[in-house]
Amino acid sequence: MAETVLIMDSDREHGEAIRTYLQRHQYDVTVACDAQKILVHLENQTWNILLGDPLIDGGTAASGIADFLKQDAMVQLIVYGTTEQVDRAMDRFALDASAYMELPVNSKALMLNMARARNHSLKNRKIDRYVQRLTDLHTARNHFLQLFDSVPCFISVQDRNLRITAINKWFKQHFGNSVGGYCYQIYKHRTSPCEKCPVIQTFEDGQIHSTEEVVTALSGRQYHVLTHTAPIMDEKDEITQVMEISTNITQIRQLQDHLTSLGLMLGSMSHGVKGMLTALDGGIYQLETGLQKQDEARVSRAFEQVKTMADKIRDMGLEILNYARSRQMQYAPVPVADLVENVMKNIRPGAAKNNVICKVFLPDSPGIIEIDSVWMESALVNFLENAVDACAYDHEKPVHKVSLTVTIEPAERVCFRIQDNGVGMDQETREKMFTLFFTSKGSRGTGLGLFIAHRVIQQHGGTVQVTSFLNQGTELIICLPRIPPGSVGENGVNPVSS
Amino acid sequence: MSKKILIIDDDPNILDYLSALFTDNGYDVQVAPDAVKGLEAARRFLPDLITLDIEMPGDWGPRFYRQMMQVKELKNTPVIVISGLSGNEHAIPKAIAAVKKPFDREELLRIVKEAIG
Repeated sequence: MAETVLIMDSDREHGEAIRTYLQRHQYDVTVACDAQKILVHLENQTWNILLGDPLIDGGTAASGIADFLKQDAMVQLIVYGTTEQVDRAMDRFALDASAYMELPVNSKALMLNMARARNHSLKNRKIDRYVQRLTDLHTARNHFLQLFDSVPCFISVQDRNLRITAINKWFKQHFGNSVGGYCYQIYKHRTSPCEKCPVIQTFEDGQIHSTEEVVTALSGRQYHVLTHTAPIMDEKDEITQVMEISTNITQIRQLQDHLTSLGLMLGSMSHGVKGMLTALDGGIYQLETGLQKQDEARVSRAFEQVKTMADKIRDMGLEILNYARSRQMQYAPVPVADLVENVMKNIRPGAAKNNVICKVFLPDSPGIIEIDSVWMESALVNFLENAVDACAYDHEKPVHKVSLTVTIEPAERVCFRIQDNGVGMDQETREKMFTLFFTSKGSRGTGLGLFIAHRVIQQHGGTVQVTSFLNQGTELIICLPRIPPGSVGENGVNPVSS
Repeated sequence: MSKKILIIDDDPNILDYLSALFTDNGYDVQVAPDAVKGLEAARRFLPDLITLDIEMPGDWGPRFYRQMMQVKELKNTPVIVISGLSGNEHAIPKAIAAVKKPFDREELLRIVKEAIG
């Protein structure tokens, strides 16, 4: 397509002469003889070259022309005129014009300037395109960076030595700015790579690999993550880095564990429940027949049995509810003496019923301990109830005793020693006593109580030490730190589901 | 003379229940809380029928049954398995019946009556 040229010349004949000349060189030329016409032409059409005196009619079109040049970098201005006109145009347009020529116009110079203007225009067009492309690239880069950052996964890019070279925002938030650190160090606090590292596998075969891992964040929290790796190749298709994407599935795992053990529990408990229901049937039968026979001894025995069974079924229901409820640990400072008092309040009635003597030994000013009192009380009650039960099952010794001794040990540990002279445990029972659903009480136990109690102690950063001899008795030493490890800054999690 | 029944179960409440139920229906009853004591009682008492819980601490029901089979005077004594375990009907193949806890007492009495009158 021919280039469009607008000639601005108050001397119409001169303008027409130039037009004829340019038309011969394949330009599409229009002549305007005054400022008003120039402005109309500028408004109605696009132009490649403006040629002539831009200050025609005393410069009334000058600002319109300047605007036109500014709007479109492709438009070139070539000035010609008298010495005076050119001089004024130079003052007004300076570098905005691509050439200045004095009259009379030299035809060779005109053609050269026209060609140069065209080149200028093409170069400008090219630069424009490059700028546009660069802007696009920049936008795309920002866009990808934003995507990378806002993906709700922990993403890291690693080199062959498992050194992290890039991380996204999520990673940074949970594991700190760890660029330059080693993956195994940041994620797992290890000093050497993990076994079966998926990143190493991807470096080896270029395939995507996945694993499930447990990692520890800056806060000390542990996350279950599902990890996928993908190779990053250079232009020669060689793997230079590997991207690792880890999705936090902690909640899913917790829920799954919880559901699994709940299902397991219901399955294993059904036997106990059946026993209890049968015994309840028995109680009701004896009550019925006792009333028929007016056998008062049988009635009162049966009533006692019905009551006991109702209690047991209620307890079991409560234990299930207790277990099923997902409760966060809520630590609060509690005086040790209050804790012991509350626990013993629960124990004394049952102990008295079984003729078991209860003794408590507290040191002077045992101080304060930070615990979740609901969980901790039920844990200690559970240990003590088992001590009372162990005495109730024993028929050898004339006097049965359960004692609770509190001592303050070094390193701010509060220890509770629970001793009984009940039936004691053999080695197998001792080893399994904290296992889920293990019970030595046959149909009378759920296998949940000590399991949960033990988890509560562990959750508080405590330990349980067991010594027991069959037919002699049992000693439990439960040691707790005054301040549990998880209490600072964040709440722990449900001890049975974590 | 009334027929003799030996009840073996680790749950005292259930021993109580079964013993009342059978006594009320005219049987002569003895109880044992585990398999070892059960075997002793069986030798001494020579029951006409034994009810046996499968899931007990110490010696399990099936082991009791194997030992009982080695005693000449006991090996033809009918056994009714009473247990909370599902699938208990296969635990002791030669048992004349397997009853699941909680059981229907009329049903249990009918089985006993059919077996020993």
